[in-house]
Parts: sequence; C-alpha cells; structure tokens
Amino acid sequence: MATSEKKSSSEMNVRAPARGMKLRAVLVLLVIVFVAFGGVIAQLFHWQINQGDSLQQEAVAQQLSDTVTSPNRGKILDRNGNTLAESQLVWTVIMSPAAIESEEDRLTIAEDISALLEVDRDTLYAKTQKTYSQFEYVKKKIPRAKVEELATWVSEKQMGGVFRVITDYKRVYPYGSLASTVLGFTGAEGTGLYGLEAMYEGTLAGEAGRVITTQNGWGEKMPNTLSYEKTIDANDGNWLVLTIDQTIQHYAEKYLEEAVRSTGCTNRGLAVMMDVKTGGILALAVKGDYDPNDPFTVADPDVLAQLAELSGDEESTARAAALQKQWNNKVVYDFYEPGSVFKVFTSCMGIEEGVASENTTFRCGGSLTVLGRKMNCHVYPSAHGTQTFAQAISNSCNPAFMNLGLSVGAKNFFKYFVGFGFTELTGIDMLGESKVTSALYYDDTMGDVSLATNSIGQTFKITPIQMITAISAVANGGDLMTPYVVAEQLDSAGNVVKATTPTVRRQVISKDTASRVSAMLAAAVNGGGSRNAYVAGYRVAGKTGTSDKTETAQTENNVWASFAGYAPADDPQVAILVVLDEPHSAIRYGGTISAPVAQKILADALPYLGIEPIYTDAELANMNSATPTVVGKEVNTAASLVKSQGLEYYVVGDGSTVLKQVPDGGATIPKGGQVVLYTETTVADKTVTVPKFEGMTLAQANQAAAASGVNILIKGLVTGATGDPKVSTQSVAGGSTAPRGTVVTVNFIYADAIE
Amino acid sequence: MAMNGQEAARTAGTPAKKKKRSYGLLAVGGFDMPFLILLLLVLSVGLICMFSASFVYAYYNDGDSYFYIKKQMIFALIGVVAMLACSCIDYHWWHKAALPLMGVSFILLIIVFILPSASGIRRWIRLPGIGQFQPSEVAKFALIVLFAHMVSLNHKRMKKLTVGFWPFLLILGAVCALVVLEPHLSGTILLAAIGLVMMFVGGSNVIALLGLLVLGGIGAYVMVFVMGYEYDRILVWLEPFKSYAGDMRDQAWQTVQSLYAIGSGGLLGQGLGNSRQKHLFLPEPQNDFVFAVVCEELGFVGAVIIILLFAALVWRGFTIAMKAKDKFGFMLAVGLTAQIGLQVALNLAVVSNLFPNTGISLPFFSYGGTSLVMLLGQMGIILSVSRGQNRLHQDLIEE
Repeated sequence: MATSEKKSSSEMNVRAPARGMKLRAVLVLLVIVFVAFGGVIAQLFHWQINQGDSLQQEAVAQQLSDTVTSPNRGKILDRNGNTLAESQLVWTVIMSPAAIESEEDRLTIAEDISALLEVDRDTLYAKTQKTYSQFEYVKKKIPRAKVEELATWVSEKQMGGVFRVITDYKRVYPYGSLASTVLGFTGAEGTGLYGLEAMYEGTLAGEAGRVITTQNGWGEKMPNTLSYEKTIDANDGNWLVLTIDQTIQHYAEKYLEEAVRSTGCTNRGLAVMMDVKTGGILALAVKGDYDPNDPFTVADPDVLAQLAELSGDEESTARAAALQKQWNNKVVYDFYEPGSVFKVFTSCMGIEEGVASENTTFRCGGSLTVLGRKMNCHVYPSAHGTQTFAQAISNSCNPAFMNLGLSVGAKNFFKYFVGFGFTELTGIDMLGESKVTSALYYDDTMGDVSLATNSIGQTFKITPIQMITAISAVANGGDLMTPYVVAEQLDSAGNVVKATTPTVRRQVISKDTASRVSAMLAAAVNGGGSRNAYVAGYRVAGKTGTSDKTETAQTENNVWASFAGYAPADDPQVAILVVLDEPHSAIRYGGTISAPVAQKILADALPYLGIEPIYTDAELANMNSATPTVVGKEVNTAASLVKSQGLEYYVVGDGSTVLKQVPDGGATIPKGGQVVLYTETTVADKTVTVPKFEGMTLAQANQAAAASGVNILIKGLVTGATGDPKVSTQSVAGGSTAPRGTVVTVNFIYADAIE
Repeated sequence: MAMNGQEAARTAGTPAKKKKRSYGLLAVGGFDMPFLILLLLVLSVGLICMFSASFVYAYYNDGDSYFYIKKQMIFALIGVVAMLACSCIDYHWWHKAALPLMGVSFILLIIVFILPSASGIRRWIRLPGIGQFQPSEVAKFALIVLFAHMVSLNHKRMKKLTVGFWPFLLILGAVCALVVLEPHLSGTILLAAIGLVMMFVGGSNVIALLGLLVLGGIGAYVMVFVMGYEYDRILVWLEPFKSYAGDMRDQAWQTVQSLYAIGSGGLLGQGLGNSRQKHLFLPEPQNDFVFAVVCEELGFVGAVIIILLFAALVWRGFTIAMKAKDKFGFMLAVGLTAQIGLQVALNLAVVSNLFPNTGISLPFFSYGGTSLVMLLGQMGIILSVSRGQNRLHQDLIEE
C-alpha cells in the first residue's frame, strides 16, 4: 500500500503542473498585469491627467455649435424716406455629408442639386464624400423660390437629415444704377467696398450675434441634461438718411446721361446739386456709372465691345481698369481745371477788395501781353472792346479778368483761393476725396503770368466737389459750408442716433459782394453768354467754362466743358455743377453742352423743390397756360373755359357735350395753343402728322405747329435775349402721326453762345 | 502516447470508488468563489458601462435607447447559465473534444470564405434567429483546448523542437493564416499571442520562441515600412492629431474621438451617463471603444479601478491554474485566463492609442451576444478546473 501510495503520489506529482510551468505562468501573469495593464494605466494618465484639459477643450470645440447670426445691414434712404439700398432675406444651403446613407444618394445629390442650385457638379460630389463632416456650404444667398424647390426635392427623395438652410441677407438697390456713385456697393460677404457702403461700414453693418449650443456628432442639439445654450443677439445696423433726393437725382442722371451720350463724352460726366444753405448734396450723378446690384459687370456697352476684342492679361487689365473707372466717384476723386467758371471767384475778389465795381470798364483788344507773354482772348483775333464788369462776365472776356486778377494781386488772390477752400479737403463724408497738393496750384508768391492765367481759371486744378462747395459759398452770402451727404443715422427702431448739423467753415466774402456778383451772373444767364442755362421764372446765376487739358496733348477733345451756377439769384437755394470730360461733339463749349444740362435739371428740380417762380412781365406775356378739364361739359361752356385760359378750341363732331379732349386737362401748352374737343364717340380721332421742328427758328416752329394742329411747348428760350436760337430736339419725332392737339416739347438752343 | 488524459488518469488513479465516479462527465464539489464573484462584478460593471455608452447611438440608429442593453442582458443571462453548465462538466472531457473542435474550427474558417460578403470582409457567420458569430472566436477556444491537450500529453519532451515547437507552430500558423486572410488583423494578433503564451508556459524551446518573435518583428517591420502594408494605420497611431488635422481625417477619426473622450474624463470623469463624445462623435461606442466612454464618464480613477478588477480576475484565473491538479487543467486555465488578459490589454491599448487601431472588443464590456456567451462558457471551464482541484483536496483528506 505504501509503495502504491508512494507511486500514486509520485504519479500525482507527475500529472501535476511542473514547477517550471508554474514559474513561466507567473511570469506571463506579471507581464500581462504589470507591463500591459501598467502601460495602459500610464497612457491613460498621460491623456487624462497631463493632456486632459487640452483634449477636453478640443472635444468641447466640436461639441459646441457656434452659429453666427447675421445682423440686418442698415437701409440707406433718400431724404424723403425712399429706400435706396436695403438688405433682403435670402437663404444659404448647408449639407451634412455624414447623414448621406449611400453612394447612390451621393450621386443623386451631385446630379440633382447641382442642377437645381446651379453649382458645379464635381465640387458638390467631392463635398458629399466628406463623410465625417456635418457642415458643408452648398450655395449661398438663394431666393425663397429656390428654397421651396429644394424642400420639395428633399421630401421626394427622403433626405431630410442631409440639407438645411440658414437665413442670410443680400444687399439690394431697388433703383438700380440710381445714385450708384453715392451708394457704392457691397462685396460677397456683405461688406461695403465702395461709396457710402464702405465709408459707413461700421454704422451700417451692425454686430453679428452668436448662438452657442451643445451639439451631437450630427450637428443636432444634445438632450436637455447636457444642453447649454447661450444667445448673443445680433445688433442690426443703423440706417442712413441721405441729403440726396431721389427725384432730383433722377433728373440729374437723366439729363446728364443724355448729354454724355449725345456729346460722345469719353471720360464721363458729372452733375452735382447742393443745398447752398446747408451744404447738403441733393443729387450727385456720374455717368457712366454702374448697377450696384451687379457692380462687377462693366456697364458701358462701348467699353464692353472693346473688351470683347481683347484677350488674356490684356483683357483682364483693361477690364479691371474699366471697373475701377465706373466705380470711381469722379466728383471727389478727379481733378480738373475750372477754366472760365473760376471768373466767378475772380469777380468776388475784385468787388470784395474794392479794385472793381459794376461801373468799372474793361478793355479787350483780343489779347493781353503780360511780362512779354501774349495771351489771347477766346474771340481772338476778334476783340470785345470796352465792356462793363457785367458785360465782361457775360462775354467771359479773358483779358478783362486777367487785368482784374493782376489788380487784385497775388497775395490777395491766394487769400481768397485758400478762403474758398481750393487748397483743402471739403470734408464731405464720402470715400476717397482727393487732397489737392501744392503741386497743383500756385501760392501767393506766383508771378504775374501765373496770376493772369489763374484769374481765368487755368494752370491749376481742383476737384469738382471743391467747385460746387465754393460756388455755393457765393450763393450762400459768402458762408463756406462743409458739404455732406448723410443727414441722419437712425437705429433700427427709427430713433435718430446722429444728425449732421450744417457747418459753416468760414465767411469768405461779404453778403454784399455775394449779391452783387450774383446779379451780374444772373444777367449773364438772362440773355448773356450763359443763356443756355436760363429757366423762366427762376433767375439762374451762373458761369460757363471750357478748359483745355494743358498737361496733355492739345487735341480738340481734350477739354472739360462745365457750368456752375445757382438759383434763384436773389435768394439762392440750390447750386449746380455740370462737367463733361472730353466731349467729342462738334461744339464743345461749356455754354453749349453743359449749361443746357444744368438748365434741364433746374427746370425740373426747382418747381419740384417748391421754389415759387417769379416771372417778369416779358416772361408772363410769353407764358404757357394750363388746359382746363372740360370733358362732360356743354360745348359752349367748354369753349368759353378754354378761351378764358388764353387758348383756342377746335370742335370735332356734332354732339352737344364734350366726350373727350386733347390734350387732357392740366397739360401745359403755350398761350394761344389749341384744345381739340370731341363731341361724338363715333367720330375717329383727328390725327395729324407731327412736323420736323428740329433746326427751325421760333417763328418757323410756331408757324409749323399752327399749320399742323399740334401744340408746341417751348423750352430753352430766354425772353428778350438776342441771338439765333434754333430747335435742337423735339419730344415727338417729326413725321410721326399723333392726335390733333398733342403737346410736343421743343427745346431751343443758342448755337452762337460763347464758351 | 496514444493515451489521452482521461485514460491516463484512470490507470494512474488510486482504486478509490469515489475517485472513479469523479472522472465521469459531471464534476461536483465547490468551485472558486472569488473568481466567480470577480467575474460577475466585471460582467455587471461591463453591462452598465455598455448601456451608458450605447444609449445615444442606439437611439439614433435603432430608434430605441435600450436596443443593445436588452439584447446584451439576455445573452448575459444565457452566458451565465452556459458558464454554470460548463463548470459542471468535468474539464477532462475536453481532451476528447480537442481535435474535433479544431477540425470544426478549420471548417468554419473556410466556410467564411465561401459565404457571400458585401463588404469583402469575411469575419462573421450569420445564424438565423440567433445572431452572428466569428469563427475566429471558435478557433481561439479550440486552439486553447488543443494546445492544453498537446502540452499535457507531451510535457516531458516539449523542449524537443519536433514535439514542442513545430507541431504547435504548424497549427497556430494555419489558423492565423486563415484569420488574417478574412482579413481580421486583431483576431490574428490575439490568436498568435495566446498560442505563443501557451507554448511558452507549456515548455517549448525558449530560444526557438525568441527566434520566432525576432523573425515576426522583422517581418512586421518589413511589411509596414518597406512594403507599406497598413502604413496609414501606423501613421495615424504615431501622429493621431496631425493625421486628423490633415488629409487622413477619416482614418484618424475614431482614434482622435476616443482620445477626446478619454481626455474629457480627467481625474474624476463627467459622471456616469454624462459622456458627450458618445453623442455620435465616437463611432460605435457600444463596441470596441466602449472603454473610451468609460474613461470619459468615470475618469482616470474609475478607469484604473476597472483595470484593477480585470487584473484581479486574471490573477485569480492564474491562481486557479496554479492549484490545478494536472497539467491539462493548468494549461486550460492559463490559456483561457491569458486570453482574457491579452484581449483586455490589447483593447485598452488600442483605445488609448498605445497600439495601432485594430478592431478588438473588450471582454464583458463590448456589445456582442454570441461572443459573450462563448466567453462566459469558457469561464465555466476555469470554474470546472477549480472544482477538480477542490475535489482532489477532498480525496486527499479521505485518504
């Protein structure tokens, strides 16, 4: 038993795990527990304790959704509250590629959505491949209609989790190109790039808001227990109320554009109207300009045609230059030589300094020689002879003003030159006003030759905004104002945050001097050399100018043709400046091509502004009459009503009651014009052929009108003025058929007007 | 040599009647309570953590937050029953099952390649109504049983290469080759590690094993750095944040999200249930990366406690092995426990980016029904080994 037991136990021992095995097992245990598990614990210590904070920060960054809410950019209103610029709600489409379920869906999205939203198919397909991403932009700023199309598609294809839209704003300019030079435009991100949009970026933009929430990996909100939400409201931008009047702006742009087109102006034209008492800009037009809704398109069809012929770098350089040109605010950015318009200021200096008065006479021998240098009058080899001060202005006589300047002297001349603000910024709240440097003008040490040429507005340069501001000072009794275009800033609730108070910079000349110069300037318009700017009843004061571009090659086209003036002369309200840069018309005088623009703008704007016309007797005699409304009245009653307005009548048909009249009641036609009264409905309209009035004299036009049966409304004539005015344009084309009694507006022009 | 362990025990055993009865199919007597308690503790903690980790993912993907936990609870119950059943089977029975089991494993590993696969990855066999299982899991178990069987038969001549090295290597190589072709890299690594541990403990030639390790190391180096195989994975491992920020965002996504979760946990964690990373940032948080959510919710302290629980379980498993009355029981317990230890270590190393990202689950934590049932069944075998040891102790007292 003992051996058996011993054997048994030894056999037991043989079966039992050997000592070596156990040792090796312990070694394995130790390695697993201490090396492997220990290593993991050390690694966890590294990530959780050493790197914990930074890792948590990165984790939190992806767990928080930080959505920026766009503020509504402030509107820009004209002075009557018309909206010139506003931000409209648009939608931006975002895609979550992580939520796309299959490759098939990715392909469907790439095909359908690229077509629907007009985005590149391959770019979109690449975005769908970013399966880790929950946020990819698909298309920004789409209108509501597109959002609805997208929604329909999404519900059809059951891809609810893939797309979402967020709201955004898009800048819209309801009047298109109107006042684009003033307004400027915004870039793709809604930031102002030009004009007031850029100048007042900080005011208009407002402050973006933020919504911070906890989100899960799919960009959805986490459940309440873990949620965190913080909202910082967006502050909408402030609104700008401008001094610009949309209606006057429209007049200015309409007539300026006509002139730029008809004169073939190659370096654009500008027209500015200023409220002389405040310095507020009522209209500021530059043509050609652009549509701020589409600022990166070259607006000028001629330039576009030129670009089409170029290619490559040449084309892109030319395009960039063309864009730069159309965006530039010529009124504050460009320099020009004012020419004869400057004689207004030389006149002021002469009167203010007492070296000349209305009775002073000037002699013109066709030229003036200063320090051995002979300078011609514009009528050379003819001459003006002996003239009064007023006649010299009317004649725009160069020797007269050179002599006047010489008697003022360089010291005084420069004093007023500085006084009228020609050496400094006007301070207008517009982007990019150019600063005149001393290289552009002569100071009080200038010699007599320079003084003489300075006196007639040549050999120095100023900006158009300086000119309109200075001429407004003359109109405003000598007070030089700071021009401005933003009248008020409103918060989004409509409260006035900031209002611009008109600022008098200084009094340059006395009230007396101002009114005496005004009278002489008004005379020059009322039948004198500036008579193409005449507006009946409004006593326009002004001066024309045509200046050669001295620094460039002297070709005939290298001129600035301009007119600066204001009205009414005895109580000035508004000033106007029109400059046409490089006109290519047959006649390029400011008095011929720029003054009519000012005249047309003033003729529309002054009545619109509620400025009452005061007619002279001569004007009254020649006045137009308003047609009475006589429809529904007995023929006899109607006839006497028409007669009482100084008009003639013409009855068509045998009825007893007037059923229709041409022209309608309230139309303006000259006294003695004809009202056609229809008494039967069955009778066809009496039609006549409109004569071709263009080229006719006043007498010829009146005769043709009476013979044909149309009424003519005469514009552009100065009552009692001498000269040989002829019809330049007519509102209804010659040769066309029109109802008898139709009113045709005919514009007269004094072809012999001086520069 | 032809004797299996059971026969050896029968001939070698004392003629005591009680002993004869004890070599039947059923084992009796008490098993190791500390191991059972530790196991149930790990299982319970694992279920809670998996529930927390899967909660959000289940809600969004399956519309039911309880989707995973419900299934896992059922499988855990089945698993515990399976464990108790296995603990009642005399572990010597597995001598008979060793070879057939390996045969079945090979058949399953080959079937995988025949079955249609949409993704090109052939790891699973779907059983209608039950779920799916990985043949490599079956192979892993078969390998442990077979190696235990082989070692117990040949323990005296293990040093000889023809006995204790080449046959083992042949079998291990064949299994690993089939699994790596699935492709299932992590499964292969785990199989190889378990096989080598058992060879080492069983007494295979250490120099040959070391040579094998060196060759394997050189092979791996050449494959990755010369042939560029899985190079991206290594790059992500070395520079996870750089890869994430660069053009390997997709590849680095899981690792970086895991590290964000771990880092967010800090020392004490966000609190159970309060992980933010499980809110659809961390892919499949109920699965291989469940421990990242554990780290985020329970912090460094909680993570270390759970690792210590695993360590205690592994220690207790080895203790059972040490007390095993024969080499077969010893090798079974060592193999099965090492499997747990190695898989836990590999999973945690992947989650904490100590090791390149390979898809490997965390025992008792990761979601997976069939795998959990098999795992618990295997734990039953360890319990059975502990039972045998208790009975021997009883026998000795009787004699």
